[in-house]
Amino acid sequence: MKFWSTLLLSLSAVSGVLAASSAKGTYQKYQSLSRSGPVSLDSAAFEELTKAPRDYYAAVILTAMDVRYGCDMCRQFDPEWNLIGKSWNKGEKPDDLKVIFGTLDFDKGKTVFQKLMLQSAPIMLLFPPTAGPYAKVKADPVRYDFTGPMSADQMYTWLKRHLPERQLPALNRPVNYMRIVSTVTVLMGAITLFTVLSPWILPLIQNRNLWAAISLIAILLFTSGQMFNHIRKVPYVTGDGKGGVSYFASGFQNQFGLETQVVAATYAVLSFVTIALALKVPRMQDVNGQQLAVFIWAGVLFGTYSFLISVFKIKNGGYPFWLPPF
Amino acid sequence: MAQSSPLDIVLKGSSGQSTRGLLRIIILLTIAAAAVASRLFSVIRFESIIHEFDPWFNFRATKYLVQNGFYSFWDWFDDRTWHPLGRVTGGTLYPGLMVTSGVIYHILRFLTIPVDIRNVCVLLAPGFSGLTALAMYLLTCEMSTSPSAGLLAAAFMGIAPGYISRSVAGSYDNEAIAIFLLVFTFFLWIKAVKNGSIMWGALTALFYGYMVSAWGGYVFITNLIPLHVFVLLCMGRYSSRVYISYTTWYALGTLGSMQIPFVGFLPIRNSDHMSALGVFGLIQLVAFAEFVRGFLPGKQFQKLLTAMVLLTFGLGFGGLVLLSVSGIIAPWSGRFYSLWDTGYAKIHIPIIASVSEHQPTAWPAFFFDLNFLIWLFPAGVFMCFQKLKDEHVFVIIYAVLASYFAGVMVRLMLTLTPIVCVAAALALSSILDSFLTMGRPDPEALANAGAEDSKTLRSTSKPVVGIYSFFSKLTVSASVTVYLLLFVSHCTWVTSNAYSSPSVVLASRLPDGSQHIIDDYREAYYWLRQNTPDNAKIMSWWDYGYQIGGMADRPTLVDNNTWNNTHIATVGKAMSSREEVSYPILRQHDVDYVLVVFGGLLGYSGDDLNKFLWMVRIAEGIWPDEVKERDFFTSRGEYRVDDEATPTMRNSLMYKMSYYNYQSLFPAGQAVDRVRGSRVPAESPQLNTLEEAFTSENWIIRIFKVKDLDNFGRDHSNAVSFDKGLKRKRAAKKKGPRVLRTE
Repeated sequence: MKFWSTLLLSLSAVSGVLAASSAKGTYQKYQSLSRSGPVSLDSAAFEELTKAPRDYYAAVILTAMDVRYGCDMCRQFDPEWNLIGKSWNKGEKPDDLKVIFGTLDFDKGKTVFQKLMLQSAPIMLLFPPTAGPYAKVKADPVRYDFTGPMSADQMYTWLKRHLPERQLPALNRPVNYMRIVSTVTVLMGAITLFTVLSPWILPLIQNRNLWAAISLIAILLFTSGQMFNHIRKVPYVTGDGKGGVSYFASGFQNQFGLETQVVAATYAVLSFVTIALALKVPRMQDVNGQQLAVFIWAGVLFGTYSFLISVFKIKNGGYPFWLPPF
Repeated sequence: MAQSSPLDIVLKGSSGQSTRGLLRIIILLTIAAAAVASRLFSVIRFESIIHEFDPWFNFRATKYLVQNGFYSFWDWFDDRTWHPLGRVTGGTLYPGLMVTSGVIYHILRFLTIPVDIRNVCVLLAPGFSGLTALAMYLLTCEMSTSPSAGLLAAAFMGIAPGYISRSVAGSYDNEAIAIFLLVFTFFLWIKAVKNGSIMWGALTALFYGYMVSAWGGYVFITNLIPLHVFVLLCMGRYSSRVYISYTTWYALGTLGSMQIPFVGFLPIRNSDHMSALGVFGLIQLVAFAEFVRGFLPGKQFQKLLTAMVLLTFGLGFGGLVLLSVSGIIAPWSGRFYSLWDTGYAKIHIPIIASVSEHQPTAWPAFFFDLNFLIWLFPAGVFMCFQKLKDEHVFVIIYAVLASYFAGVMVRLMLTLTPIVCVAAALALSSILDSFLTMGRPDPEALANAGAEDSKTLRSTSKPVVGIYSFFSKLTVSASVTVYLLLFVSHCTWVTSNAYSSPSVVLASRLPDGSQHIIDDYREAYYWLRQNTPDNAKIMSWWDYGYQIGGMADRPTLVDNNTWNNTHIATVGKAMSSREEVSYPILRQHDVDYVLVVFGGLLGYSGDDLNKFLWMVRIAEGIWPDEVKERDFFTSRGEYRVDDEATPTMRNSLMYKMSYYNYQSLFPAGQAVDRVRGSRVPAESPQLNTLEEAFTSENWIIRIFKVKDLDNFGRDHSNAVSFDKGLKRKRAAKKKGPRVLRTE
């Protein structure tokens, strides 16, 4: 058993050496091209890089960077991809483990996209070596799924899983000195500004009306489902399929952006009227004016509440209660 | 005012006061009774039964406590869950709930009332909700001078669906007593801050300790009280009252909370608790500065002092950050952190993200749970700005924070409800107080009175006059009555329709309107109980672990405690892999039976195939190379179970178990899955390593027995095809010796 495996290994090493004589040039060529970050490829270069006898891994991202294609994910992920390439090239890695990182843009490599029958971007393919110490029997590229967060860390753990278990360079996010400096500057500026302007700012900060407004707005936003919009990234409005606009999402556990704004506004009106009835009306000196105000506010309250219930009935079909106007 | 009616004797003077006191007590008792009564729908409709999932564990633990006594409960190692790991149950649960019902049980027994422990457990939550209404009355009375605010708040709290949702009879969960403790602790805290007394501070700490022993949500109090104190300090409202109450609470409360084994040293080692410690340090500094300030004459010295305080605080804060970065203080616990970074849980802890009550809240849920309180709530918060005493600051902070939390997670609606009731009661009572009086204001007398308080909101800067016209009063009181009546009907409707289903027993309506009970869960669990050996290990998805432990009394692999992600992922892998992969896993874990929930026949949507993607996801988190979520979707990205389902899907154990023999119920080729609304493949999947043991009446629960190794040493697929009479295929020449596949 042992003998056979040794023989096999040595055989593969021999064939690897034979194949590498042609492939070595390719590796060195692209290695020199990719001093910092991934190599930018075109169709011909892609073919050359992924040609069958190769003693290196080739990790290629197929992307569509141009704004015309409207691929947000491509543009979003591009800096992360560069980060991986850069970290790899600069990092400490085993000598015999060769990896080339490449980027193929749709504009330069239409034929590749057609050949691989790709409909979407970005796609990351990892081509394992066919020769050399890490040669794989299956030379087909492995495809990375862009699910989950678009972060370099996610992809790098995936890459590490597919590369041989060796000491691999760590992902190295460069320290953004500019940002630190600018943050410190802005912070100090803010403190200075605050000390200088404190005679004017302090009364503003200590103003009760301001804080009351802030708290109420916060409460109204939270209780009308803004956090749901934020987390689930719901659409603002959608069409109803008949050319119109549907303002309210169907279903109890679903909502649109506009819908929550309508609800927040309704709550705001109702609260404001309540405040007016409770605090302002009893402070009115004028007898008739007060009477009029009470009627108006009570009417608005009733109407708006009725509207709110009717909106709720849209969401929950079986809701049995209603108030007259709506 | 010349003539005096006979009523005046009971309404005025000292006897008037006692009449009002009596009325108040009667009203409060009525509210408590209403709170209890409205939670009994489920007992009346179904029976006295424990609901849902977690309550089954609590019930089982309570039974253990009652049978074996407190000390053995404290040291309980449970080898019938998380097989083969077991669980140190006594040290990993909040014992408050079980101990409470144990004490009640023993008191009732002492009074020679022969009560069953199950009935104590079922009725504990309604009983405590009556107490919550009383606590709410006390809390709101501290906020307002109006006599009606407290009563209104108590009534709101008693029947608000947001609280009923977790406290109907049978919902024997930690929240059942925790909300009472939450409200009562806050009441004691407000009392302590108002009086600056050590007694109230110590009482706060006592009930805080009780709360810690009852519910993980105690962290909310641990952070809210320091935040209250911090804001008071920032507003320049330091006083010895605040100092005394906070230090008393912190010192005693922290010591008390550390007595719970599950909490242990968390209060000094976990970031969730660091704000309390930080504010404790800060308030010492501020107190010291206040003390020294008295002796310092010059303005320069005072400035120096302020700078010193700020510097020390900054250094302390930096130290804390350093400690948590270096890992001495544990970083934020995942559950708590996911409230701030809302995307965190989905990436890092799929188990938390998979629970439906951890989803964000859409707006209808707010209206559903709070009805018209939701728009009285902002008005009430606004009114707190009017006087803005220390206790009003508390209401405002609580309101803003809790509405944020409730927006992020559905289940935290529960912590929002109390403050909504307080604020709404403040708003409504101030309307009722001005519109429900018989007296007419005298414009002459009031014209002379000037503004009494200059430091208030703009809208309340003028003096109060009152309401002149009778019609105005009538309009407003009539419409408020309509809203209140609507509120009561809404609450009753919601409670009866949405929150009173035990979920162990399902109810449906037949075409003629009569009720039809679907009792598949209990049918299956009792089958397990009566037909399997006492230590047969049951594998199911973790949702059903507690129920199997409680109702079938059989050991399980994973349960709702979810403390070991890898073990859960193992079950997920077994469910989502091919039989050849799953069988060794089942053998290695001594599994005797596998239980799946299948709703296809009845259209029951909460079944395992609908949860299946979470199993896949959780398994993928541990074995990304063996289980891939992508493989369960068709090339067009659809999740399908019919003929177009992917091979991975159709070969997965879960799929096979769900649809095994399902086709035999229908005419050939017409099998339909009513949950996913799709046609099922005509051919039944073939199971080699499992055999069907039990299927409940409506096919909701299916139990499969894991086959033993074949007597002739064949592998199972060969054995099955031999039994079917198929000719054995010539196996290709095997290389190497035969081995049982393990991993």
